[in-house]
Amino acid sequence: MHEAPNSLSDYRKQIDSALQDDFLRRTLDTFAVAYRANRETIFKEVDERALINQIAESRDKACQRMEELFIQFREKAEKLGVKVHRAATADEANEIIARIARENNVKRVVKSKSMTAEETQLNERLLKDNLIVDETDLGEWIIQLRHEGPSHMVMPAIHLSRYQVADDFTKVTGTKQDTDIQKLVKVARVQLRRKFIAGDMGVSGCNFAIAESGTCTIVTNEGNARMVTTLPRVHVVIAGLDKLTPTLEEALTALLVLPRNATGQRLTTYVSFIHGAGECQASPNGKKTLHIVFVDNGRTEIARDPLFSQVFRCVRCGACANVCPVFRLVGGHKMGYIYIGAIGLILTYFFHGKDIAKVLCQNCVGCEACKNVCAGGIDLPRLIREIRSRLNDELGNDTQAALLGSVMKSRKLFHSLLKFAKYAQKPFTGGTQFQRHLPAIFLGKHGFKALPAIASESFRDRWESIKPIVPNPTQTVAIFSGCAQDFVYPEELEACVKVLGANNVAVEFPFDQTCCGLPLEMMGQRKTSQDVAEQNVRAFAAGKYDAIITLCASCASHLKHNYPNLLEGRPQVLAAAKAFAEKVTDFSSYVHDVLKLGPDNFRNSGEKVTYHASCHLCRGLGVKEAPRALIASAATYVPCEEEEVCCGFGGTYSAKFPEISAQLLEKKLLNVSATGASRLVVDCPGCVMQLKGGVEKQKLGVKVTHISELLAENLKR
Amino acid sequence: MSPGDSVKTTVVDTFRAKAEAVNAIVQEVPSKAAALQYIVDVCASKSPAEILADEPDAEQGPPGPNNMPTRVKRIVAAPELDDADFATLSAACEAKGFICLRNGLRKHLAGIDVGVSTGILGVAASGTCMVNCDKEDVRLAGMICEIHVVFLRKSTIHPDLPSIASQLRQRIGEGVTYTTLISGPSRTADIERVAAVGVHGPLELHVILLED
Repeated sequence: MHEAPNSLSDYRKQIDSALQDDFLRRTLDTFAVAYRANRETIFKEVDERALINQIAESRDKACQRMEELFIQFREKAEKLGVKVHRAATADEANEIIARIARENNVKRVVKSKSMTAEETQLNERLLKDNLIVDETDLGEWIIQLRHEGPSHMVMPAIHLSRYQVADDFTKVTGTKQDTDIQKLVKVARVQLRRKFIAGDMGVSGCNFAIAESGTCTIVTNEGNARMVTTLPRVHVVIAGLDKLTPTLEEALTALLVLPRNATGQRLTTYVSFIHGAGECQASPNGKKTLHIVFVDNGRTEIARDPLFSQVFRCVRCGACANVCPVFRLVGGHKMGYIYIGAIGLILTYFFHGKDIAKVLCQNCVGCEACKNVCAGGIDLPRLIREIRSRLNDELGNDTQAALLGSVMKSRKLFHSLLKFAKYAQKPFTGGTQFQRHLPAIFLGKHGFKALPAIASESFRDRWESIKPIVPNPTQTVAIFSGCAQDFVYPEELEACVKVLGANNVAVEFPFDQTCCGLPLEMMGQRKTSQDVAEQNVRAFAAGKYDAIITLCASCASHLKHNYPNLLEGRPQVLAAAKAFAEKVTDFSSYVHDVLKLGPDNFRNSGEKVTYHASCHLCRGLGVKEAPRALIASAATYVPCEEEEVCCGFGGTYSAKFPEISAQLLEKKLLNVSATGASRLVVDCPGCVMQLKGGVEKQKLGVKVTHISELLAENLKR
Repeated sequence: MSPGDSVKTTVVDTFRAKAEAVNAIVQEVPSKAAALQYIVDVCASKSPAEILADEPDAEQGPPGPNNMPTRVKRIVAAPELDDADFATLSAACEAKGFICLRNGLRKHLAGIDVGVSTGILGVAASGTCMVNCDKEDVRLAGMICEIHVVFLRKSTIHPDLPSIASQLRQRIGEGVTYTTLISGPSRTADIERVAAVGVHGPLELHVILLED
């Protein structure tokens, strides 16, 4: 079992060693690319969104009826000769199973894969009773031989190479084993067959516990679960209470998504429906002894939580890890305690406690890739932010976060500090846009990119002189600037204003607006985050705007999706917040979809321009076509490999995990360089900051600009 | 050809394509007799099953691909066949020197050559067969064999998973204790994500499509 990190510095050391594991990096890299392609192909045959919505809805309902479903299941199953147990805690579940083993005079236990058994750490308990316990899923067996925990929920040994496996198999068999994978798989076939035969008790998990009939559904590929549930005379099913599913139909619907999301399969090789204690010739009475242990371990409490109950939509497919850019770099052992990936960060908090979760749950870049593929449509990034906020309440703020929180409470204080920074940085910038001369020692791990300088004149200071005069406007919009553009990249906003003004749009800039609050959310500063949200809503409430335009994808996504949630408890501004969120539009969508600007409106410069799709634009807001069409209107658009993969900025994330941020940036820049484009266009100043810094540091000679600048430069007159 | 026929053809074609995509071998045969003969032929042309665990009474031949001894007398198990079909198969096996079993498979958990199952229905969208495995010997036949042969009537192929719900529910309601949906031979990608078939279950799956 791996250890949970105690402190951020401890965790960063662990991450550093993972980043140096070349095999892991290469494997996960290949996997990430292949998975994305396979998943896309395999989902073409079904209506992905409709299925995900269906699963979300049915699991939410099931979660509300958990108690009732348990009673129904127990009643049905007990009529079929099954003994149904309920364990309040992980320990209690283990005790029940140990007792079953004792009462049935069990010596040998064979297990098929169960994440719930990993959660309760069942093996350790059974070993205390001197039972022989063998995992039989190939990956689980490998990690059992190595005394490790799973590094992925579906592929538990994905962190290991064939050479490591061959060494382990050589040890266990006492015979030198070939490193050929096909042969290694057969070693498991040979070695484990005897174990199946000798097993007195089989332990399996359960994917769906169907309440209407008391049936357990088990999904596998290797055929080990059928062995485990058939050969031994005793069978114990261990299942979280969240596995209770009202009817067969819900299970079949989920089966359309689970294998597709997990491994790109239409269906797993085996899906078994076990309905009561069946024939077993190994038993003296010819019948299987069948027990089902339902584990609560905090589940009934989560089920009552209006926000977190959605975690029970999880079908344990592992897709949230498969698409996570951080998982891809550091692997599962650094991305959860027992449960892995985005859902792992959340479940760790609930099942294993705040001390184990406190550091791990910081490791989310917030790119929303997981939310986009989750089989149950769980808002994983939001839940992770929520946990950070709870952890701050429970364990106390960390100093950095608290300081940020107190500064941001006052717009005036925050903005004066930014203006002060403009003077303080002077000796270091040499008049450029970068802090060139900052002593390297001060930069530490941030040295992978050049840090931007605060602009000499902020957008709000320039506003009066650049405000366009539009006599007969077709529309009136307001700009939400966001801090990065207001104070670091005002030229991006200026370009936007130029494009809008030239197209007969009146533009206004409400001065009372402040930071959108996303960085505060990322650091768990809930109260201040709500305060700044309220301030922004009020700042825009007075005007009659057709749209509120923002050039920052992260701000846009936060304003649009999170404000109504954040301000739910403040009825005096809630209606205004909803109206505000409704009007928030990203720059590209406004220009492309509302103003309908296209090739006729721009000179095509012919410049080779590539694109980085910001996480919060392409996933957060689902905007994909508009920016690419606009680039093609003003230049030659050259697509980039992995265009929609995070650049590693993630706001405060890049400061917290600079090593990971640097690696993500590195990968992104390699792909950008490969396009041969002379310019990289982005829809978010955060990404501009990261990418521009990286390009400058590596002297790649690629110009990085916001899309607004490309359009303004090529505006037809 | 009526419009209904063409729809059926499409479902069968889809079934075949999706089953083959997961490494199943799909065969059409003209008659039950041909299907029984297929079993004998498959058993004759394969290399003899490896004996993966102790089986004192088994006569042992030279080591197989995984260095385990192989069966001298090959074993075919077909617990679900009716008396007449079993007699036909048994006679054909005997002529080849194979053992043909209807029960007692627990004596041969070390591995058999061919196991025969009857598909209750098929699912075209995933190339899946739903097999009966309520009786232990029937289930074991499909688990411990190297080649699993499933008979499937074309008329029982349904388009997709949701469309089998009522039939599956009915089976469960009738008290069937164990039902499995099978798509292809057992597989894994647990080592370096490299696909490999034949883990703990069959090395091959053959689906024999039968007319009604």
